[in-house]
Amino acid sequence: MSLRGVRKVYPNGKAALDDVDLTLGEGEFVFLVGPSGAGKTTLLKLLIRDERPTSGEVILDGRNLARVPRRKVPELRRKIGIVFQDYKLLPTRTVRENVAFALEVTGTPRRQIRPAVERALAVVGLGAQADQLPTTLSGGEQQRTAIARALVHEPRLIIADEPTGNLDPLISWEIIQLLLRINELGVTILMATHNASVVTALRRRVVALEEGRVVRDEVGGYHRDD
Amino acid sequence: MFGFFRFVAFSVTHGLQGLRRNGLMTIAATATMLLMLLLLAGFWLVQAGLAAGVSYVEQKVEIVADLHDVPGAEGALTVQAVALEADVAALPTVRSVDFVSKDEALAQFRERLRERGQVDLTGYLDRNPLPASLEVKLVDPRDYDPVVQLLQDHSRVVDDVVQVQQLVSELTTVTGVLRTGGIVLLVLVGFVVLFIIVNTIRLAVVARREEIEIMRLVGASDAFIRWPFIFEGAFVGLLGAALALGIIALVSGPVSDFMYGFFRVLPIELGSLQADMALLVVGTGFGVGVLGSWLSVRSYLTK
Repeated sequence: MSLRGVRKVYPNGKAALDDVDLTLGEGEFVFLVGPSGAGKTTLLKLLIRDERPTSGEVILDGRNLARVPRRKVPELRRKIGIVFQDYKLLPTRTVRENVAFALEVTGTPRRQIRPAVERALAVVGLGAQADQLPTTLSGGEQQRTAIARALVHEPRLIIADEPTGNLDPLISWEIIQLLLRINELGVTILMATHNASVVTALRRRVVALEEGRVVRDEVGGYHRDD
Repeated sequence: MFGFFRFVAFSVTHGLQGLRRNGLMTIAATATMLLMLLLLAGFWLVQAGLAAGVSYVEQKVEIVADLHDVPGAEGALTVQAVALEADVAALPTVRSVDFVSKDEALAQFRERLRERGQVDLTGYLDRNPLPASLEVKLVDPRDYDPVVQLLQDHSRVVDDVVQVQQLVSELTTVTGVLRTGGIVLLVLVGFVVLFIIVNTIRLAVVARREEIEIMRLVGASDAFIRWPFIFEGAFVGLLGAALALGIIALVSGPVSDFMYGFFRVLPIELGSLQADMALLVVGTGFGVGVLGSWLSVRSYLTK
C-alpha cells in the first residue's frame, strides 16, 4: 500500500492533504498520529476509496484506486477491515449477527458464514457474549465486536480510526494487545490515534501528520524523541 | 445462478427483517400508505360515480319530434313515420330511435298520472289528443344538429321538434366541468399521495443510514444494499393496499346501500368499478413503495 504525491482538496476549498508520500509494507503495524484536522481521517478515507485524491496516486495491492471502477469498489473494501472510534454496530442485532452481517451483505454462502464468524469471535475472545446485543456490552467488548467484524473477511489490511478514543486506558490496552496479536497473524495494521502513551510505549513505526503533510515517519514515540 | 438465488433470498429475508426490526417506522409507513390509498380510492370512487352520473344524465337527453295528428290519416302517417325512423336511425350520431304511437303515448300519460295519484280523466275524452312521436337518443348529446335538421325537413310528417339546443349546451357545460374537475382532482390527490408516501419511506431509510453506511464499509455491492429496501418498500405498499382494500370491502356494503338510497337513479356498476379500483390501489401501493425505496436509497449510493 502506498501513497505517492497525494493531494486532497475538498470541494469547499479546504486542503486536507498536501503532497503525501507513504508506503506500508506487508505485515507492518503503523501508527498515524497528529492533531485533529491534520488529515488522518482523510488519508484513511482515501485508502478505502471513500474519497478520491485531487492529485497523486493511491496504490493498494498493486492497483491504482483512482482507476478502480465504482462497481468494483465493494470488492476492494472486502480486503480491508475497518474499525471506528464509535464502533458502528447495529443495535438491533446480536454480536454474532453483527459479525455475520459483513459476510451476509457480500453474498457469502450461509455454510461458510457460521465457521468464519466463530473464528473471528474466537480471535477477539467474545465467544461467550455472542448472543448478546451490543447495548448490553461494555465499550471494550463493543470495540472487540467491531474488530471481529473487520476480521471476518480475512483482510490483509486493517484500518483503525481512533479505536481507543472512547475507552479508558486499561481497556485501550486490551484493544491494542488484540490488534498486535492480529498483526502477528500477518495482517497489516494502520491505526490513527491520539493515544500518546500507547504509541510511545510500543515503539512502532509512527507517521505524524500536520496540516496535511507528513512531518515525521520513524520508529519511536508519539512525540519527537529529541 | 446459485449466487443469484442467494442474493434474492438475502434481499427478501433482510427486507422482512428490516420491517420487523424497525417496527415503529414500518407501522408509520404502512399507516401512511393505508390512509393515502384510502384517500386515493375514495376520490377515485367519487370521480367514477360522478362520471357515471354525468353520462347517465347525458343519456337522458333526447330529441322528441311530435308527429302530425290528423284524424283518419293515422295509418298513412304511421307508415311515413316508420320510414323516417329508419332514416334517422341510419345517422351515425344516433344511438337509438323509438317510435311512440298515439296509444303508447296515452298509456304512458295514464301511467304517470297513476304514479302521481292524480285522477285520470282521459276516459272522458272522445278522442286521444296526444300525438305520436319519435324519440331520438344521441351518441353525443352535442351532435343534435343533423338529427334536428333531418326531422325538420320532413315537415309533412313532423309537426314540431322540441328544441333541445339550450338544454344540451347548458348540460354539457356542467357535465364537462364536473368530468374535468373530477379528473384534475384525482390527479392532484394522486400526486399528494405519491409525495407523502415517498417521503415516509425516505424517513424510514434515513432512520437506517447507519446500516447502509456499515454495508458500504464492509464491501456490500449496491444491489445488496438497495434490494432489501426495495422489497421492504414493496411489502409496505402491498400491505397498505391489502389493508385499504379490506377496509373498503368492509364498508362498501353500507356505503353502496346509502349511495343507492341517495342517488337512486344512478346505475353505477359497482362490479367492474371495484376491480378497477383494486388494481389502482394495489398498483399504486406497490409502485410507490418500490419507487420510494429506490429514490431514497439511491442518494446513499451515489458517490
